[in-house]
Amino acid sequence: MNIRKIVTIVEEIRTEGGREVWPPAKVAVVAAVIENPWAGQGFVEDLNPGIDANASDLGALLAPQVLQALESPAEAYGKAAIVGLDGEVEHGSALIHTLKFGDHFRKAADATTLLPAVEKRGAAGVVFDIPLKHITDATIRSHHQTVEVRIADAPHPGEIVVALAAAAQGRPQQRLAPLSTEQ
Amino acid sequence: MQETATDHAFGGTLAVDAGASSTLRRADDDGQPAPAETRIGLRKLVLYRDDVITEGGRTPDVPARRASVAAVVRNPWLHTGPTADLSAHTTRIAPVLARLLTDRLLAALGGVDRIEAFGKAAIVGTAGELEHAGALIHTPYFGNLMREFLGGESIICFADTRAEAGETLVVPLWHKTHAATRSHYQTVSARVPDAPRADEIVVIAAASTGPRPHPRIGDRLTDPTVSSQNLETLLS
Repeated sequence: MNIRKIVTIVEEIRTEGGREVWPPAKVAVVAAVIENPWAGQGFVEDLNPGIDANASDLGALLAPQVLQALESPAEAYGKAAIVGLDGEVEHGSALIHTLKFGDHFRKAADATTLLPAVEKRGAAGVVFDIPLKHITDATIRSHHQTVEVRIADAPHPGEIVVALAAAAQGRPQQRLAPLSTEQ
Repeated sequence: MQETATDHAFGGTLAVDAGASSTLRRADDDGQPAPAETRIGLRKLVLYRDDVITEGGRTPDVPARRASVAAVVRNPWLHTGPTADLSAHTTRIAPVLARLLTDRLLAALGGVDRIEAFGKAAIVGTAGELEHAGALIHTPYFGNLMREFLGGESIICFADTRAEAGETLVVPLWHKTHAATRSHYQTVSARVPDAPRADEIVVIAAASTGPRPHPRIGDRLTDPTVSSQNLETLLS
């Protein structure tokens, strides 16, 4: 796996809707900018060798870093794969949509649910939103949220940005009735 | 007071000045004054950090880590007009921002001894003047404190602009004690997706732990004498 750089973003929200948020609402993102393992190979039918060579290592690299950046236990989480213009969205999906990638994060966060994801193709500097949901119950409405990311010089056409996101809480000022009240 | 924490990208250790942030603790509900962040109209903080692993396919001899920290505050000078005295709010807000932003930078970059280059920036929302952005970063109430907290001596280089929310600002950095050190001329980006609103200002402090990944464009010490006279052939 050839990594060009690792980007860390931490947001701390102190007020929302004009009211104080305390403790501050924190969301962290850690993204690795890597060379697309299938770059320059034309259409590759069997993606498994590339998945085996990269997906678990990526999960192991990113999971501890995003939790350390958050500095709190994660209550919601999500993931992203943003493929440079010369690649297929399938390449990004291959790296993040396997248990061998996601299990590192689930284990480190004591989580049980599947990770919500964004996967798309774009030029360097593309803006992408990572969806986050609760780590043990994806129906918990208070924790449905999104974090926006932009890396000015990534992905290059032959690169993929693979990212994990973690939130220490639900939305700031969350006040929607739970799903069970409508069932 | 110094405390150590695990350096989260590469497993080293970093020193964080915990005493610095203790002055910004939130007061309990016991009649204490509002916390400094609330008094300055702080909405959010965004840290962006960039760790170069390879550049041009090669690991840098001196790997550097660059970071920017952006604070979103309410513009205290809305509708005050272009002749208003800006000093009262400047002296009240800028020092708190200098401490808040440099605390985050020190934690993200591994402490004051690791920081080699610095820069600052501000983005004013569309209802404000650029002069409002300048008021929060160009006076000693911000600059002197930022320089002190980051252990620097140089003038701090800067960028500023007026923009809609989501603007990316490229923040210039140079060496914190020897500004003319060419290897340390570099930039880091800062962006808050939903700020500044028209009535807000984004104030940014940025720093780097080293030079550009592969610096190789010489320095003042190695430059030949260059002038229009001795380049006459090239310029004619």
